[in-house]
Amino acid sequence: MDILFLLIPLSTVLALLIIGTLAWALSGGQFDDLEQQGELVFDPGEVDAAGVPIRPRTTRP
Amino acid sequence: MDITLPAPAAAAFSALDDTAAAREFSRPLADGRWESWIAIEGMDCAACGQTIEQTLKQLPGVALAEVSLLTTRARVVWQAGQVSPSALFQAIARLGYQPFPAGSAEQEHATRRHGRMLLWRLMVAAFCMMQVMMYSTVEYVAAPGEIPPDQLMLLRWGQWMLCIPVMLFAAWPILHGAWRSLRSRRLGMDVPAALGLVLAFTASSSATFDGGGEVWFDSVSMFVFFLLLSRWVEAWARRRATGQLEALDRRLPAVVMRADGAAFVQVPAAQLRAGDRIRVAPGEVFPADGTLLEGQTTVDEAILTGESLPAAKGVGASVVAGSQNVSDTVDVLVTRPAADSTVARIRQLISAAAQTRPDWVRLADKWAAAFLACVLVLAVVAWVGWQFIDPTRALGVSIAILIVTCPCALSLAAPAAMLSATAGLARHGIWLREPAALERLLGVRQVAFDKTGTLTEATLALTRIEVLRPGLDEAAALACASAMAGASRHPLSRALAAADAALVAPTQWREWAGEGIQASLAGVIHHLGSLPFAMASTISVDVAASANGAPDPAATGTAAPTLVCPSSAPAELTDASDGASIWRTGADTTPVVWLADPDGLMACFHFADTPRKDAAQTIAGLHAVGLDTALLSGDRPAAVQALAATVGIRNPRAAMSPEDKLQAILQWQANRQPVLMVGDGINDGPALARADVSATLGGAAALAQGQADIVLASGRLSDLLQVRRTAIAARRITRQNLVWAASWNAVSVPLALVGWMPPWAAGIGMAASSLLVIGNGLRLLRVKG
Repeated sequence: MDILFLLIPLSTVLALLIIGTLAWALSGGQFDDLEQQGELVFDPGEVDAAGVPIRPRTTRP
Repeated sequence: MDITLPAPAAAAFSALDDTAAAREFSRPLADGRWESWIAIEGMDCAACGQTIEQTLKQLPGVALAEVSLLTTRARVVWQAGQVSPSALFQAIARLGYQPFPAGSAEQEHATRRHGRMLLWRLMVAAFCMMQVMMYSTVEYVAAPGEIPPDQLMLLRWGQWMLCIPVMLFAAWPILHGAWRSLRSRRLGMDVPAALGLVLAFTASSSATFDGGGEVWFDSVSMFVFFLLLSRWVEAWARRRATGQLEALDRRLPAVVMRADGAAFVQVPAAQLRAGDRIRVAPGEVFPADGTLLEGQTTVDEAILTGESLPAAKGVGASVVAGSQNVSDTVDVLVTRPAADSTVARIRQLISAAAQTRPDWVRLADKWAAAFLACVLVLAVVAWVGWQFIDPTRALGVSIAILIVTCPCALSLAAPAAMLSATAGLARHGIWLREPAALERLLGVRQVAFDKTGTLTEATLALTRIEVLRPGLDEAAALACASAMAGASRHPLSRALAAADAALVAPTQWREWAGEGIQASLAGVIHHLGSLPFAMASTISVDVAASANGAPDPAATGTAAPTLVCPSSAPAELTDASDGASIWRTGADTTPVVWLADPDGLMACFHFADTPRKDAAQTIAGLHAVGLDTALLSGDRPAAVQALAATVGIRNPRAAMSPEDKLQAILQWQANRQPVLMVGDGINDGPALARADVSATLGGAAALAQGQADIVLASGRLSDLLQVRRTAIAARRITRQNLVWAASWNAVSVPLALVGWMPPWAAGIGMAASSLLVIGNGLRLLRVKG
């Protein structure tokens, strides 16, 4: 039963860590635009007459 | 993660005092007074609204302040010169809330951030609650003394650790709200809840580290979770109910093509003024109210009228902001700037709906502070009392009382139902000027209708074709006439064109305003119009032929046209000395149109008002629910009697002036019969204003005039029955909500007092009753079409 003294603090710290990570991801804007990554495959980018890319495929406002 | 900001300095709002800036969220009323709409972030419970109302009313020059928790907006009427918008904003900010000009981009941003933060707090509470429950289960299932004290303390320490984010982050709005109301020396609804939370957490913490007594970490985390859940659902319900309003706002284009000399240039829609000429391409949304200057198109007004079929619009037709141009590019003359447009008016309608609180609710608000004080006293009394019965349970009982008595459900009972009813009706194109009209509608005993345009269609219908030439049949005459009428916008032409699909395209088409149309069909010049115009065909044939340059074989082939007069012709002829009177729709004559070719008159077309398709059904429906109906018309007795017989109205009165109509309404009211007047708003203005409830029919354009309490923008008369059904449902649901909320508080307090309600049950019950009230109100959104 002594293992509880390790496991309970460990699980508590883990739970707090999970919350902290989610908070970081949320405030970093990772959930702000969930569609853009999916739409990226349809974005051909822009090329000039010679075929040189003017705007790369990936756009992140 | 804290979203509260330090109270901004006075200078932060001074830009709003500029008249142009103020107009974005305000409008001038009579005698120097202004009405402003201010969005407020940070309100969580009805008590917040009262605090803001009280504070605003204390400012000099503020005539009226109403705060709606449901739309999170304040409506303030203030006197220019005595107080300024910045002073209003400053006062709200000083209370610890964030004011924004209603409808601004900052407000939208803040609302979104606020909603996201609330969801995040809810998630944290849920996650921690889950873990806390796992640790606390052990204590519930184990027999006393079964767990060694050191392990028990370890489990409690785990709960304590996980409860800290709940208390410091998730419960922040509750604690902050309580602090805010205490600081302004008022008792808000958050105060007992916050007190309960702090007491439970502090007592549990000391029990954890001193090793004795009971812990309530599970109750604390669960209460916070449920309270946040009910607030989140409430915010969601509010968004749903006002969703149409936001959809309208979002539809309006940000930039428009405005005429600048000969060219069209892009300008921000906010810069549009009355008199501007703008160009709207197919698929675009009209940015402002206006009239069509050039082009013909079809317009989708579904968002305003609930009518899914696009309506055809020609030159001179009015279009409203928010409706969508479907088929062709058109030029529009702006008649009202965006701030005064129909959309702005609708926004006021919906906001007013959410703002309205019945008088007894206002009374209840006044007593809310006293009620909350009683709750605090009761909690202390219970604690003292239980010291003599069972000191270990005293604190638990007090906490349960503090939590269970939150009157949130009570404060939401009426507004939730009213907002849902208004929004539900709006989806079907029925707009209420004030929700109180729904209450008054239920008292109505007498329904009075106007005739033209109300009981009858706004357009005329072809009733009879009189063929004047042997060998010609009705279908051929009609095909001829409708082909000629197709390009004209005259009401009679529209009726002719609607009666038959034109197959032949006329050439050399020309219209003489007020007289008729001349055109060539299959090489033969025809005339359609008043009798003199049609009979003059031989003369104008020569004119047309010579103008054409080449003699028309059909015209020249006619030596002497024989004029065939129908039986009725001499009488019509004398009536029509002024040719226009027959071509036009006179009030007293049934309009007639004549068709002629160079050989003489071919046919005569008779028109009449037609009753609306749903008129008879509506009248029968009104009779079925015990209402009496009357027809008040300025028309001839014969026409009025005939219409009344067709649609089944019991009490027709003809040849009435607007003054007579007013007298009739006063007469009914003197006999204690409240009247619903249904009219067109132009001729019936006085009668509509005097009636207990008034309604007008019409398309989206009717919304902008709107002196009536109820605008049936769908143009369906049968919607009157729908409004009545919704009014009954709204009254029933409001009563259900009130009875439920009041009885919950009446039952739960004694239960908590005698110790039969543990803190966790109090938390669930309180949140559940709020959810129930909101969900019950949302049922009104489902208005059957």
